[in-house]
Amino acid sequence: MPGTTTRTTITTPAEREIRIERVVNAPRDFVWRAYTDPALVAEWWGRGHRLVVERLELERGGHWRWVEHGPNGVYGFEGRYREVTPPARFVRSFEWDGMPAHVAIETVTLEDLGEGRTRIVILMQMHTPEERDGFLQSGMQQGMDAAFAQLDGLVTKS
Amino acid sequence: MVQHAATLDAAFAAVADRTRRGILERLGRSEASISELAESFDMTLTGIKKHVAVLEDAQLVTSRKTGRVRTCRLGPRRLEREAEWIEKCQRLMDASFDRLESLLERSKE
Repeated sequence: MPGTTTRTTITTPAEREIRIERVVNAPRDFVWRAYTDPALVAEWWGRGHRLVVERLELERGGHWRWVEHGPNGVYGFEGRYREVTPPARFVRSFEWDGMPAHVAIETVTLEDLGEGRTRIVILMQMHTPEERDGFLQSGMQQGMDAAFAQLDGLVTKS
Repeated sequence: MVQHAATLDAAFAAVADRTRRGILERLGRSEASISELAESFDMTLTGIKKHVAVLEDAQLVTSRKTGRVRTCRLGPRRLEREAEWIEKCQRLMDASFDRLESLLERSKE
């Protein structure tokens, strides 16, 4: 198996699911704010491209729309909040402009581990196995875009 | 790209089942006949044959028949591409969570 170790684990526990888990060195209240305060979201979420938080209506039924401005275009992610339980859990629908009308349900659970550490568990549930694989593939594509963008940055600097 | 996606689909579908993952692990140790596999997994011959067929479609397993015995072994394609693919996604998410952590550092300043 290739490469260096990563601290994020991505598993596919069932045909229509993706589970992402990572322990971060940040207290749970802060992680909750990082997901729910538009100014903070824009600083870290997504794939390292410029992110514009167009909507973040943090309540049941509220809309969210976060738009990524990458080297290959502008893509939004959006949906509605189904459940908001601060600071432990939210559930929302999740749709990417690149795969319109393929809606996933994302459940984000924040577990307080004490000593300023938090376990983040993200469960993405899709309607079909094909959608699940489509989401994974778009993730890879975006990752390559990010790598190329960094390369561009290096070239510009030198 | 479409072909690539189709083989990935088949491979992911093949390994989404506990018994089939078990068969891959078993064949990773040594080749085995259908009846040996059926015994190891406490399944009927028909049941094991179905699982092996799914793994063969995904090119993860091959089998050949000698006389009345069908022997299975790992196929030409391994799960490296799938592992590599998931690892790329992991790196991507890692970078994102790293930014979240550094955000905390900056907010302390």
